[in-house]
Amino acid sequence: MKYALYLGCAIPIKYPGFEAATRKVCERLNIDLVDLPFACCPPPTSLKMVHYDSWLALAALNLCLAEEQGLDVMTLCSGCVNTLKEANHTLKKSDSKRRKINRILEEQNHHYKGTIEVTHILDVLYQDTVIERLIKEKVRDIPVKIGCHYGCHYFRPPKIMYPEELSESESYVPVRMDHLLSIIGMEPTEYSRKFLCCGSPLGANADQDAGYAIVKEKLRHIREREIEALSVICPSCFEQFDMGQIALSRKFKDLVKVPTFYLTQLIGLSLGMSPKEVGTDVHRVKSKKLLESIGIS
Amino acid sequence: MTVKIWNFFPRQALYECYQCARCTGSCPALEVAPALGPRETILKCLNLGHDQVVEDERLWVCCTCNVCEDRCPQKIPISDLLVALRNSAARRGNIPDKLGIAIELLAKTGRSMIVHQLDEMRAHHGLEPLLPVPIDEIREIFKKTRLDEVIEF
Repeated sequence: MKYALYLGCAIPIKYPGFEAATRKVCERLNIDLVDLPFACCPPPTSLKMVHYDSWLALAALNLCLAEEQGLDVMTLCSGCVNTLKEANHTLKKSDSKRRKINRILEEQNHHYKGTIEVTHILDVLYQDTVIERLIKEKVRDIPVKIGCHYGCHYFRPPKIMYPEELSESESYVPVRMDHLLSIIGMEPTEYSRKFLCCGSPLGANADQDAGYAIVKEKLRHIREREIEALSVICPSCFEQFDMGQIALSRKFKDLVKVPTFYLTQLIGLSLGMSPKEVGTDVHRVKSKKLLESIGIS
Repeated sequence: MTVKIWNFFPRQALYECYQCARCTGSCPALEVAPALGPRETILKCLNLGHDQVVEDERLWVCCTCNVCEDRCPQKIPISDLLVALRNSAARRGNIPDKLGIAIELLAKTGRSMIVHQLDEMRAHHGLEPLLPVPIDEIREIFKKTRLDEVIEF
């Protein structure tokens, strides 16, 4: 099993701990990763909104870099997977868009053919062979009541992100992170507003306080279910919960904070890695006490 | 030059909307900020024409979460409409400052984050320096797609 590792921008630059955890976890689970000089995806929340053609062209360049090596792309971020999957889908489907983009790329000696697939680390880990290996390699359970937050762009619009999973009403609700975490002994817990936005793009583009107001409301529902920690698969969602809780706690003194983890950090802990090895020591909302209470230090 | 937004979005789909407001009732942005909201956006496109809508700053108050489209009983491709409207708005200079700065950074560096003392921070996690992006290629591509007509870089 081999993928081109698409890191994106936020993970290698802001949260390299997630990258370190991911690389170690993939090594243990026999997933080979190849590094390529990828550019920004670019985000569905920024460039796509401002200049669609530039968004599609840069995404196509990234797809070409992997295609030239004959590798499928594995992303680590809900935004990156949204851009690269949608661009791949659009370019495969539309002859006119593919021709237009290829006219631009050919001057840089690239040619998009449409021979590869784009996936997310969660979907890579969710494959039968990987899960079997995880069960074999796992050295400890993480008995924590966990709330999963998938990040909107990971699965919406489902007609592009998960067309094969659509129900008759053409809707789709993701479950893979919940299932995966139950394998490492966690207790995935439902909460109201689970599938709604974290507020990150609203904060980034328009109004930071409004973005944090969304986090505050989500946290209210999370604490109502006595959830002890959150698991995310997107660095923007992570920042929104981690930094967001610090910002909110300055304003609301009685705010009870919930530590947030990136998915592969939790998988890494179950494989026996230490919190420092998976990089949880640099999170703003500290998880030390919670982890020590279940014997992980 | 303006963007012909009906190349992005099938105009007749606007008439499928019966203003049930399920989209707007689901909108996380509208709950916390003065957003335009999908229902009103569609109504204004029908009644006033999109020219009026793209002048409105509230068009940008959005999470881009796609819940509106997800829950639309008429299956109107609302997110395509919103992309088309905002592309057109940006061309007319209606773009939030923060977003304009972010796009300029992206066009100049090929990344959407500022790289500062990165090697040190990556080394703390036992990671190699990050591979450089093919910035010359990226700038050429953006020149060809005419990004500079909207954002100077």
